[in-house]
Amino acid sequence: MNITHKFIITLIVFFLASCSSVSMDRTNDATAISATATGAYSDTGITSNNILYFAYDKSDINSEGRTKIRTLAKLINDNNLSVRVEGHCDERGTREYNLALGEKRAKTVAELLIINGVASDKIDTVSYGEEKPASPGSNERSWSQNRRALVKTF
Amino acid sequence: MLKKILLIYLVLFISNIQSQLRIEIKGGAEDPISIAIVPLEWNLDSPQDEYLHQIIKSDLESFGEFKVLPPENMLSFPSSKEEVFFKDWRMLGVDYLVIGRINVSDFSEEIITKYTIFDVAREKSIHRGSVIGPVKTLRKIGHKVSDKIYSRIQGIPGIFSTKIAYIDKPSTDDPNFNLRISDIDGYDSLSIFSSPQPLMSPSWSPDRQNIAYVSFEEGTSRIFLQKLNSAERKGVKLEEGINSSPNWSPNGDKISAVLSKSGNPDIFIYDLSKDTWKQITKHFGIDTEPDWSPNSKKILFTSNRSGSPQIYEVNVRSNRVKRLTFEGTYNARGRYLPDGKGIVFVHRKNGVFHIATQNLRTGKIRILTDTFLDESPTVSPNGNVVIYATKDGDRDTLAGITLDGKTKFVMSSIKGEAREPAWSPLID
Repeated sequence: MNITHKFIITLIVFFLASCSSVSMDRTNDATAISATATGAYSDTGITSNNILYFAYDKSDINSEGRTKIRTLAKLINDNNLSVRVEGHCDERGTREYNLALGEKRAKTVAELLIINGVASDKIDTVSYGEEKPASPGSNERSWSQNRRALVKTF
Repeated sequence: MLKKILLIYLVLFISNIQSQLRIEIKGGAEDPISIAIVPLEWNLDSPQDEYLHQIIKSDLESFGEFKVLPPENMLSFPSSKEEVFFKDWRMLGVDYLVIGRINVSDFSEEIITKYTIFDVAREKSIHRGSVIGPVKTLRKIGHKVSDKIYSRIQGIPGIFSTKIAYIDKPSTDDPNFNLRISDIDGYDSLSIFSSPQPLMSPSWSPDRQNIAYVSFEEGTSRIFLQKLNSAERKGVKLEEGINSSPNWSPNGDKISAVLSKSGNPDIFIYDLSKDTWKQITKHFGIDTEPDWSPNSKKILFTSNRSGSPQIYEVNVRSNRVKRLTFEGTYNARGRYLPDGKGIVFVHRKNGVFHIATQNLRTGKIRILTDTFLDESPTVSPNGNVVIYATKDGDRDTLAGITLDGKTKFVMSSIKGEAREPAWSPLID
């Protein structure tokens, strides 16, 4: 390409850039369509003493919790129950990270149930992260109630 | 007949069109661009439409970049170039002028909006455009005009026609979780999925036709894909443990997500045509919150492999991992900026969660928000604005801030308890 050509192209580009542009747009009234969940899952408690509590950002169980798990393990085996352990978190921190943390809590409880004699195929785990708080407030009192694992019949 | 319908429509909506955003301009902002939007003339005897120019005004003033001249300060209401006296507009300090006309056909349900944008200093028109659409899409028409004004003056795409997907948690009004889609000012909100069990993590397909999200309707977390125009939905191949955090790849054929089937949460890629999962990260810690880089080559994710949550980047081809954040003990839920040169994420400082941004070349962090429990940042497709989830008292709500940190807004028109906003791609 010679210099004259380049000059002409530059001129054209400059001309295009400096003159008024024209546009034609169209809108339509198409809106998204909604759907609803069917067959909603529901669950029930096993006993009133089926909740384990955790420290912030932690998934280990204290000695009081270990005693509770021993009692639960006996109850599960005596009645030949299948259970589901739900892990929950408080609202601090990001949601997906809390979903992972809730799973860690549920798995810790499941492991302790197994150590206490419950067959592993009788236990299922699920994490709800911070999505199902027991108490709605944004304060330490609510948060301490929300950092929990629940053992439920399934 | 149509004239009557129009009249009723206008009467109903003029009273409704207060600004949808509670805007707060922080100190130090440069002089906004002054623009006049002359109330657009209808080919009707009455009423004069106030609605369209108000939509445009509300759009343009959203992020503090424009100041729109009130009609009562105008010396004339030109609707054609011949009626424009540039000297008058210069005297009013106006940089740009928009005039136009709306034509309504008695035989059609559609209106044609024609408009011209003038550069007042140069006394020249810089754009002439028209938008055609049904009367009831007046807001969409306004957003289209706003987008064109914005892009012609600012040189980057306008985002007023884009959408926000978000999750609405159960309230006294509605016992269900809802996945909603609304305009970016929170207006025209519509539930596209409703469930008594939690919904999480919406992600748009790049063609904006589908949304991926997590639903607990089957008792565990599972990723679902839903088509927006038909409500057709299907569950993605379910694996044991967590199935969560979907994020659509830039070319739309894959979804990065989190599975814990290996015993702990790791990043996987789901291939939509093959219906297969491929493991990308492998670590005994928590790996989560993937976000695809704009060039598809890397995935941003959160991991606690160092002992506290930090943001990493994994090369999709080599699976090589690089740590990106080092400041503080909680950095999570990262999202790339559209140019790939920076990220926004959740950063904890003194126990408080803020939205922050980091330049990936210099590593420098800037905290953007000063409120409590801010999370889930999502970046506008033109890279200028971040919308995030925050608290308004005890209520979950959405707010936004420009990346320069100068303009902040609360989406006060959003009712209920909103969280997890996801900004749609640009709408052409």
